[in-house]
Amino acid sequence: MNTVATYLRVPYRAGAIRLSIGTLVLMVLASIIFLPGFLAGENLSNLLAQSTTLVISALGQTFVILTGGLDVSVGSIISVTTAIMTLDMPPFVRVLLCIAVATAFGLVNGYGVARLNVHPIIMTLATMGIGQGLALIILPIPGGRVPDWLSMSVAGSIGPLPNALVWLVVASLVAAWILYRRPFGLYLFAAGGNEFNARMNGVPVKRTIINAYVLSALFACAAGMFLAGRLASGDPKGGAAFGIESVTAAALGGVHLAGGIGSIFGTVVGAAILGLVNNVMNLANVSAFLQSVAKGALLLVLVVSQRRKTIGL
Amino acid sequence: MTTANSKPSAPSSLFNVKRAVFWIIGLPPAYYVLAILIALAPAVSATLINPNYWFVILKQSAPLGLAVLAQSLVMRVRSIDLSVSGVFAFAIYVASSGLLNSYPPFLTVAMFIVVGLLVGVTNGVLVAYVRASAVISTLSVSAILIGVVQYMSAGRAPGSTPTWLRVLTSGNIHGLSYSIIIWIATSVLVAVAFRFLIVGRYFRAVGDNPRAAETTGIPLARTIFVSHVTAGVLTGIAALVQVSALAVGTIKPGFDTFMNALAATILGGVTFGVDRGGVAGPFVAVVALSFLFAMLTVFGIQEPGKLIVQGLIIALAAIIYGTRAGRI
Repeated sequence: MNTVATYLRVPYRAGAIRLSIGTLVLMVLASIIFLPGFLAGENLSNLLAQSTTLVISALGQTFVILTGGLDVSVGSIISVTTAIMTLDMPPFVRVLLCIAVATAFGLVNGYGVARLNVHPIIMTLATMGIGQGLALIILPIPGGRVPDWLSMSVAGSIGPLPNALVWLVVASLVAAWILYRRPFGLYLFAAGGNEFNARMNGVPVKRTIINAYVLSALFACAAGMFLAGRLASGDPKGGAAFGIESVTAAALGGVHLAGGIGSIFGTVVGAAILGLVNNVMNLANVSAFLQSVAKGALLLVLVVSQRRKTIGL
Repeated sequence: MTTANSKPSAPSSLFNVKRAVFWIIGLPPAYYVLAILIALAPAVSATLINPNYWFVILKQSAPLGLAVLAQSLVMRVRSIDLSVSGVFAFAIYVASSGLLNSYPPFLTVAMFIVVGLLVGVTNGVLVAYVRASAVISTLSVSAILIGVVQYMSAGRAPGSTPTWLRVLTSGNIHGLSYSIIIWIATSVLVAVAFRFLIVGRYFRAVGDNPRAAETTGIPLARTIFVSHVTAGVLTGIAALVQVSALAVGTIKPGFDTFMNALAATILGGVTFGVDRGGVAGPFVAVVALSFLFAMLTVFGIQEPGKLIVQGLIIALAAIIYGTRAGRI
């Protein structure tokens, strides 16, 4: 238990996480008081299932943002993964193919940014287009059928614990282990904080950046598998929204887009806030069309409250 | 033997040839792409070399061209504007929903510019003065605008666009559509401002090195604010031209506009802080991209193929610049 607490600790480079936690706590309290159905098992189960894809993709995004980059191709990788999982081939081969494709996307992104000096937004925007095209070629319209074991691993439960929660906790612990228990995690903070200083201190900056993009793609692949299992089918455009939403979730959780500041716990909190906004508005019978306004406004308030030292992306 | 009083000798012809070769090599990728496409066009289809067809392509490119001009302004000062889709959605909805039918036409035209201006001011304040992330703040503004449009329309498509407004695309002077004239005139205005006004030098200085620019007394925040406000107004004009090309309004103008705008800007030699392409580079890039997509349509390549080609073009153009000099 102590080990788990250590993994999820809030380090001093976690950013404005208190604000995010405060926002989440207030939202949860308000929901409990004003929305009677909020604590119902079915609602919590829905909330969890809807938020897990976002949490997993945002965890991967956190690695990239910590280096000072941005990965908007996450959404396309999720879409490609759901499309591949419906292909007519042995399930084991499908999973391997998903991992191979995601790794290839991560390597191309990382190599482009670290070695070829392309700006992260431009590089990942390019691969986002390529990934979206690939997903539409593999599966032109939503449909197909994913392996039964995948659907069951998402929809079922282990005792009282919903499987979605297991996916979420495992992904968070893996991300926390990488960030806080491996030298790579320290390299990420160092490279994102000050690239020149990191290099002078022997940090393999370029390799760290490439690995961050590969990790982001692999987490997106896991998020895609979860989404495919939840839908029990593929959707070539099903991941499109997650490219930007994963960045939004990380930013809401106090991860600085300039790099070097952020935490796994913060990202989980940020994704939870986003998931909660949708859930609460559904429960309160607020028009679904206003959800975009609410999310945009909430994001603006939180971003404005995190004033940075420099002007920029 | 030269003396102190002798005039310096004129550059040799070899020197001039060398300079010309370096100039050609240094051109943005858009010029090469357009040259290759023009060379290939006769072999693909006779229609592609028909001058009337080129006018049609230019007419269709005008909204994108104006959006690219806007995006290139903010990218010059190392910022980005992701609110393009939001401005398009909002302005197109208001113009085609009949909300302004009882008002004089000039008010509808003014609405586009005012919407663009307000969004530009909001983006500018957030990015330059509040120092919020340009990606997140402009994205939030876009999300709010799209949400408002969806709420007002309840998800239904709005009505038809005003008939009188369609003259911008259908009307012409000697075959040149008004929309193309607006695009060219605006591009020339921006180019002249960059060449002769002090703000052009500010933009270049901030793009080259914001910290150095601020240290030397250039108003960093104000320059970035001005870039966002100008970009907002230009995006409003782009939305106006886009509406004039539509018979029926839409609430989902799509992410394509932003993606294509970014692709053309990079292809035209303007990226974060890099301004090799000037105003002409992105202009040529818009024509090249539109011509490329027309050619892909002739080949029967559908949306997935076009997305892949678009992605490859962005990646290749960015890699060429990235390997030439520093991060872009």
